[in-house]
Amino acid sequence: MEFLMVVWEFFQNNVLTKPQFFVGLIVFVGYLLLQKPIYEALAGFIKAVVGYVILMVASGGLVSNFRPVLVGLKDRFDLSAAVIDPYFGQAAAQASVESVGRSFSMMMLVLLIAFSFNLLLVLFRRYTKIRTLFITGHVMVQQSSTALWLVLFCFPQLQDAGVVVMLGILLGTYWSVASNLTVEPCQKLTEGGGFATGHQQMFGIWFVSKIAGKIGDKKKSIESLKLPGFLSIFNENVVATGILMLFFFGAIITILGPDMMHKIDKSFAAEQNFAFYIVEKSFNFSVYLTILQLGVRMFVSELTESFQGISNKILPGSMPAVDCAATYGFGHPNAVTIGFLFGALGQFTAIIGLLVFQSPILIISGFVPLFFDNATFAVFANRLGGIKAAVIITYFSGMTQVLGGAFAAYFFMTGKFGGWHGNFDWDTIWPAIGVIMKYGQYVGVAAVVILLLAIPQILYRQNKDTYFLIAEDYDKYLEVKGEKE
Amino acid sequence: MLKVIAACGSGMGSSQIIKMKLEKVFKKLGIEASIYHTNVGDAKSQAANYDVVVCSESLIGTFTNASAKGITVIGLKNLLSEKEIEEKVTENIVNKQ
Repeated sequence: MEFLMVVWEFFQNNVLTKPQFFVGLIVFVGYLLLQKPIYEALAGFIKAVVGYVILMVASGGLVSNFRPVLVGLKDRFDLSAAVIDPYFGQAAAQASVESVGRSFSMMMLVLLIAFSFNLLLVLFRRYTKIRTLFITGHVMVQQSSTALWLVLFCFPQLQDAGVVVMLGILLGTYWSVASNLTVEPCQKLTEGGGFATGHQQMFGIWFVSKIAGKIGDKKKSIESLKLPGFLSIFNENVVATGILMLFFFGAIITILGPDMMHKIDKSFAAEQNFAFYIVEKSFNFSVYLTILQLGVRMFVSELTESFQGISNKILPGSMPAVDCAATYGFGHPNAVTIGFLFGALGQFTAIIGLLVFQSPILIISGFVPLFFDNATFAVFANRLGGIKAAVIITYFSGMTQVLGGAFAAYFFMTGKFGGWHGNFDWDTIWPAIGVIMKYGQYVGVAAVVILLLAIPQILYRQNKDTYFLIAEDYDKYLEVKGEKE
Repeated sequence: MLKVIAACGSGMGSSQIIKMKLEKVFKKLGIEASIYHTNVGDAKSQAANYDVVVCSESLIGTFTNASAKGITVIGLKNLLSEKEIEEKVTENIVNKQ
């Protein structure tokens, strides 16, 4: 018995509390279970460990690059601040989890349980009415991170095993139900493209598909518009982040002034020019984001590949729920740009609103929600309600992202580490879930899971004869639909 | 060996989907290839070292320089459709050799 305790303690100290080895171990075992050769499993192990460490270095860099600015804002204006972006959110969530002395390794277990629960719901789809399997690896990592912090925030006393199981079920339910909601909008947009969206704005897509037709006229669409060519530079992640950060941090650091920055930031050398210091500081965010993405790509690509394999192998007839960018090919390139542009306008309006009404937290636009959420909404809105719907919807979505993000970063205290997840569902439905969890405790969690699971049941009751058909055979669906009308 | 780069906005989600589907299609057509997936910015600066660029139709404007240099650029409407990928690969790669 004592021997077992020693082994367990060794495992706990060296693997379980070291996320990189834990993730590596999971990948290694997973590959062996998938009957891959041992050398591939070993390669997967190394890539997962290295990728994860890269990720940790980068998210540490993001947080520490931000810290002096946060300190300055706190001292001078008693403000906290958060960049609304899933990568900043992930870094802030990790810092929050570790600040209360818990292990971030749980994130990976949460992800696996949530994925398995989604799989289970699809397997029993005749009863659960879930048609989609969420397989977007990097998004699953980000969401598991943020949600892990939410649960620890609401249930600080809960033991690790309890956290992992409860959150696994909650997150798995969200992945299943929300991606399932996008089946109809996606199939109609892509005329039977055979995929749903598994990303960060799934409730948003469903909502847009309900209102876009009522707002605008689909005949007046975006295709005829001529947009200036310089907007294309925003297509590049590094450039767009650099510009956004230069804009926001340029403004903030200028207001704080060189004297204060010298005092709080040791990296600001006495002989360095203030303007160059600002540029360096702002571009550092692009640097760390690029490194972070490299790390995520390294250990996630293995994961996504196995998930895709599982979805092909055992679930014929179900749909993969993939990255929202897969829909962009079905919209005019203008739609993507319009979404970004008006989303940005909406975000800026709301940020000015926060300043005017003296919100205790300042929000800084991050690239990912700004671009990917709003571009996706614009593609769907343009198809159903033309340019008017695309403009109006993305403008309000931008505002929602800021206001919801501000509430979340303040309430869940990730503003302390300068970030919040920031994508549409994480500014609307997830803060609501968080508040319900905080005040409703276990009853709240149970209620959320039951309510979510009721959604596909309601959808099914509305269209019993075509509910599964639209996912399995779109041509036949059109036929049946045509006969009915 | 054909050198292929698959690109999307962030280099995370859809480019990896393209990569997986391409692998299947290449295997079926008996084409030997190495595929790298990344974001558009990276792909743009590295395109000269590759034979083929594959991305979503909406991003094809980014690669006008590459196609002017004779690199095959394939834009996809449905990233998940093996049928579309097979047609475009046959048209742009197999039939051109």
